[in-house]
Amino acid sequence: MKRLFRSGVMALTAAAVALAFSSTARAEVPSWCGPKKATLALLDGFGGNSWRLVTAASGKQEASLCPSITRFEYADGQGNTQKAISDIKSMAARGIDALVVFGDAGPAVLPALTEVYKAGKVVVPYRVDVGGKAGRNYTVFIGSSFKNDGENWGKWIKAILPNGGNLLFLSGPAGNSQGLDELAGLKSVLDDKYKFLNPAPFDVTNWDPSLTQQVLTAEIAKNPKIDVIVSDFGPSLVGALPVFKKFNRSIPALATSDGNSLGCFWIDNHKENPDFKLFTVATGNDNVRLAIDWAVAEVTGGKLPSEQIFKAPVFENSVTGQPHPVQCRRDLPGAIYLSAKLSPEEQAKAVNK
Amino acid sequence: MNLTADKPIAIPVPLRPGALPLARGFVTIVVSTLALLVVCALVTPSAIAPGALAGSLPFAAVLAIVGLAQMLVVQQGGFDLSVAGGVSLAVVIATHVPAGENAALPGAILMALGCALAAGVLNGILVGVLRLNAIVATIGMNALIYGGVFAVSGGVPRTTTSLLAAIAGGETFGIANAVWFALAILIVVCFVLKKTVIGRRFEAIGANPRAARAVGLRVRLHQTMAYVCAQILYCIAGLLIAGITREPTAFQGDPLLLPSVAVVVLGGTSLLGGRGFPISTAIAAFFLNQLSQFALAIGVPYSAQTIIQAFALGLGIAVYSLRRPRRVTKGAEPIKPFEKQPDTEENKNEAIVP
Repeated sequence: MKRLFRSGVMALTAAAVALAFSSTARAEVPSWCGPKKATLALLDGFGGNSWRLVTAASGKQEASLCPSITRFEYADGQGNTQKAISDIKSMAARGIDALVVFGDAGPAVLPALTEVYKAGKVVVPYRVDVGGKAGRNYTVFIGSSFKNDGENWGKWIKAILPNGGNLLFLSGPAGNSQGLDELAGLKSVLDDKYKFLNPAPFDVTNWDPSLTQQVLTAEIAKNPKIDVIVSDFGPSLVGALPVFKKFNRSIPALATSDGNSLGCFWIDNHKENPDFKLFTVATGNDNVRLAIDWAVAEVTGGKLPSEQIFKAPVFENSVTGQPHPVQCRRDLPGAIYLSAKLSPEEQAKAVNK
Repeated sequence: MNLTADKPIAIPVPLRPGALPLARGFVTIVVSTLALLVVCALVTPSAIAPGALAGSLPFAAVLAIVGLAQMLVVQQGGFDLSVAGGVSLAVVIATHVPAGENAALPGAILMALGCALAAGVLNGILVGVLRLNAIVATIGMNALIYGGVFAVSGGVPRTTTSLLAAIAGGETFGIANAVWFALAILIVVCFVLKKTVIGRRFEAIGANPRAARAVGLRVRLHQTMAYVCAQILYCIAGLLIAGITREPTAFQGDPLLLPSVAVVVLGGTSLLGGRGFPISTAIAAFFLNQLSQFALAIGVPYSAQTIIQAFALGLGIAVYSLRRPRRVTKGAEPIKPFEKQPDTEENKNEAIVP
């Protein structure tokens, strides 16, 4: 029985490998993919949510575009800094040539990254700032421009409310740098006509839907006029927005990041809520692709990408329909991101495993 | 109140018939809550606006249920740190198993209750029968339950079914259904604890397990039952959260751990075990929830919000610690705990001053 099972698994693996090779053979080899054979690992500090699952699947798909990458490994630090550090070291010890690292623990993983980099590996931390310097502690850092997101939201708010208005800005844990950068972006576009109703710098929600709901309840009760809500995690608002109904008020305009459940929520509710306009930027799963491109280019001798910072593109705009009208795929889970390059079906597979 | 078997204590003034003072914890929490409501009305009227209450009461209800569960365990001198896991498991089972299909919801609820029962029995055996330290055993159990949470969900949130959202998130007679659920559970817990033989034995065992064993009560069974009932209540709380928040995360129980203990203490139940104060615990849940609404409504920075909440909580707990010397009847004979048997008329009354 055991042998049967094992041979089945082997057959499946062989089939999967064959499939992977046939698809990559058909695709054109991208410029960042050089001729030198190498192995690559993607290391997550915390892999336990749908965004991370979609991102990991995106990273794997991006790496598979380059036939020179002979092996792809993935490790999940499970939110444990010790494990994240040991993952980094053990991947290097196992002979992996290039490491792409989501350093959730920040500078705590820097010594491990530096050690591995000094041992001659290609090390590309991305999205979360780990401190240190490119060329000394790691190969290159691929950041994400949250300020750019704030600017995009600000421009849209200016377009729908040219005469100013009341804003409510919600972000994650207290003092998170993402929220602060986004606020800087917003403020660079919006002048004093736009009033922030929340305590500076933003309402703390920990990106937790139940806390978001409680925070929003208090803010709605306090502020009779809210024109726009700005949030950097749209899907966590889906549970909270119906609170407006309890006050017999229309859901206001919303500038945020995309998510399938949010798109479907807008489609179901915008008719009853005349003020409910929606504008989203991509949630940024494709940030990992730029980091993978860099790592692969460095390790295989390919052409280095021109960008070092990922700028999330604008995704949905319910007012102009540009670049996209609001998207919803009811047949797929709510926790996928239609803005990501990875196909919705593949995302559904990644989050439903 | 905590009676120890080896130390005789002085009894408070014997009660005159018809003159039953209210329990100290009850008075304190009611006064604190009223004071908070007055402050809200004066400083931030928006915090007690009907819409604000309608939005925040469901969360108070969930906290009340979790608090009652924790109270049962605390009454047995234990601690249940598997709150987070228990609640989160119910949330993910109720959202992932039906996957949006209303027809599959009853099966999912049964499955969640079954898992809660199993976790509770296991907790109960570890603590009640094998005599493991409650904190250690329930931390282990929490990790085990979280294994289940990941197995069911992979850590991924899922939109809740419309049926569950209507049941748990809906309203009846203008009041959130979650509040009705909490009230029903409160009545059941009060009745069983205060008016049935099982409940009286349960409290007596909590007050003094050694004395209870000596008179032939089944100590282990009752202690085990505390953990089982607690898990069932966590499960109900989790099901409610799954309905109240449209897309709950897989870790929705985490923020409930400390508040669950806080409301038990605020309600006046001794952490050393003994008598429980279910009504006070439920009011404490409302108090704590209203406190955070107040902190949010005054619109101060997050750091100040946290400080205000901590200060109010500290004040609430300090009231119990700063006890005045107990009035003792002159010449009263000290009694031993053995004389305070659970089935006497006097003990059945909740309103005795500890």
